[in-house]
Amino acid sequence: MTSLNAEKWISDYSDMLYRFAITRVNDSEAAKDLVQETFLAAWRNFDNFKGEISEKNWLFTILKNKIIDYYRKASTRLVQQIPEGFNNSEFFDDTEHFAQPYQPNEWGVDYNQTIEKKEFYEVLDKCRKKLKDLQGVTFTMKYLDGMDSDEICKELGITPSNYWILIHRAKIQLRTCLEKNWFLQ
Amino acid sequence: MKKKLMITCKEATDMLSQKEEGKISYENRLKLWYHLFLCKWCRAFKKQDSLIIKHLHSLDTRDEQQVLSEEEKKSMIEKLKQF
Repeated sequence: MTSLNAEKWISDYSDMLYRFAITRVNDSEAAKDLVQETFLAAWRNFDNFKGEISEKNWLFTILKNKIIDYYRKASTRLVQQIPEGFNNSEFFDDTEHFAQPYQPNEWGVDYNQTIEKKEFYEVLDKCRKKLKDLQGVTFTMKYLDGMDSDEICKELGITPSNYWILIHRAKIQLRTCLEKNWFLQ
Repeated sequence: MKKKLMITCKEATDMLSQKEEGKISYENRLKLWYHLFLCKWCRAFKKQDSLIIKHLHSLDTRDEQQVLSEEEKKSMIEKLKQF
């Protein structure tokens, strides 16, 4: 059980908490606020910290909950934007087959290999950040936070049907973006 | 009741997400398999989707650039001490 030391907390944890937050909220000011709020909440509640988990995990748990609150607030604003049904005309043609430029082309790579190039991850992240609003939030919660669809629906106040539409669109967009900006360069 | 076996690319790509989460019905699993058998675009989509998902998992640990400045850190320390 450690004693309360502000300098040590900030020095040990602020950067990693910030990196975690900014990956998920895409806004550096919002991320900094979330990190600050996390430290304040932990500081105030230190008496309740029993040391059953590590200090680091405890701080991360507080931050994760604050991020979910952030998503929920954003989602409340955005709930009106959930597509009623899947908008066909963009990705698919009249017969619901892939339309250009969304038709998947062969990438000519070994799909089993893990890509190590730093530049690839930069492109992947850029493409991921292009996913806007509720689509982006849902996608992040699923693939970065490993949350399950039931949890996501509950946290965001959306239906499973909304969820599938959002994930479906997100995947098609992300795939297209990566094909264009990396694999078929 | 026999429903059509042929599904569209739109339906197939949607079903891939459900299959990924183990939430696909047996009937849809068959329809998806049949569509993939016939459709090269969706076959490519499926492989590419898996590849993307695999690499998304390590996105978190890759970015080492983001740090807070010393002033920002000092400011956070001050705010805690004020409490």
